[in-house]
Amino acid sequence: MAAQAHAIDYDPERNYDEDTLAQQREIEKEIAESQPLISSLFTFDDIVEEYTREDEVYRHKIENLKTRYANLRKTRGDGNCFFRAFGFGYLETLLSNPTDYQRFLEICEKSKDELIALGFPQFTLEDFYDTFIDIVKQVKNPGQLEKLLETFNDQGLSDYFVVYLRLLVSGFLQKNEDDYIPFIDGERTVKQFCSQEVEPMGKESDHIHAVALTKALRVPICVEYMDREGQTCNSFMFDPTESPEESSPKPALTLLYRPGHYDILYPL
Amino acid sequence: MAMKRISKELMDLHKDPPTNCSAGPVGEDIFHWQATIIGPEDSPYAGGCFNLNIHFPTDYPFKPPKVAFSTKIYHPNINSNGSICLDILRGQWSPALTISKVLLSICSLLTDPNPDDPLVPEIARIYKTDIAKYNETARGWTQRFAM
Repeated sequence: MAAQAHAIDYDPERNYDEDTLAQQREIEKEIAESQPLISSLFTFDDIVEEYTREDEVYRHKIENLKTRYANLRKTRGDGNCFFRAFGFGYLETLLSNPTDYQRFLEICEKSKDELIALGFPQFTLEDFYDTFIDIVKQVKNPGQLEKLLETFNDQGLSDYFVVYLRLLVSGFLQKNEDDYIPFIDGERTVKQFCSQEVEPMGKESDHIHAVALTKALRVPICVEYMDREGQTCNSFMFDPTESPEESSPKPALTLLYRPGHYDILYPL
Repeated sequence: MAMKRISKELMDLHKDPPTNCSAGPVGEDIFHWQATIIGPEDSPYAGGCFNLNIHFPTDYPFKPPKVAFSTKIYHPNINSNGSICLDILRGQWSPALTISKVLLSICSLLTDPNPDDPLVPEIARIYKTDIAKYNETARGWTQRFAM
């Protein structure tokens, strides 16, 4: 009966997709007005009540985090949080690490031609790359933290950076198609997966995105998983070198994962 | 950022226009364009000249452009308002795409409609059950509205 009523109400003159898009925009606007893209530093005491409102179990987990971490930065929940947290968090560490900066810059500079060779349109790719590399070069000089924070809170610049990271992930997965096809659900090719779940802005990141990004840029990261089970957070190391556990590298940065969202953690 | 990107696309379109398509700003406003698509030869739209309106959002290229036909067209994925049902104009838009790519995708949609995700279910039904009737109606509309 309900289905029939729906069929009668259907108005072919109307584009229902546009209604959905308009509604989506409203939600995005509300989130944008209440959350900065990258926040200033918080202590765990600042956020404990907010997190606990979602689930009481987070109280224990925050206590557990306090034994290992001093602060965190929150990122906006806009579906790009993994990429933005990674981008800002890693560049922030490079401010005080010129050796890694040089290594990272070389990888980034090589990436553009690799992506073009994979078939990404040169015209748009160069546009994103130019902004991306300008932002990377900001951290060449120490003491640019305020500037970096400002850049990552500028919607246009920050999103250009995110787009390029998304293209890097897409390129990496496509280049290593055979290794990743078993992890893709549904009857999809790696290319289809990338155009549906990686390249569009606002598509949330999964394990596979994190694996690909850390491998493409050769940056080891740790993720603390704060799910609703148990009393402590489980940490997981994304190690691009795949070295045996006892010799795995120190993570360049640590992210905090709460179901559906990534923030940045700062060790004690 | 949007303005810079749109200007670059405009230059690129002049330099390397996609087959059977043209596009450019309507007047002074660089966020509002008009495009023309010539009906593909291997489709019932052959010989037609279809106009489209393009509106770029202020946060382009992070959000897709709004593209709609202003010439009437008989097609399962395009309704009487000219709205187009195309994945890359919705959830699968990527900032790495361009208007040029969008116009080429619309050309492919004219050649190969997608009746399983229709905007006009009635036309999709005819396309699936009576292709000859669909071709004839589409050709008739092309002659009436697009020539």
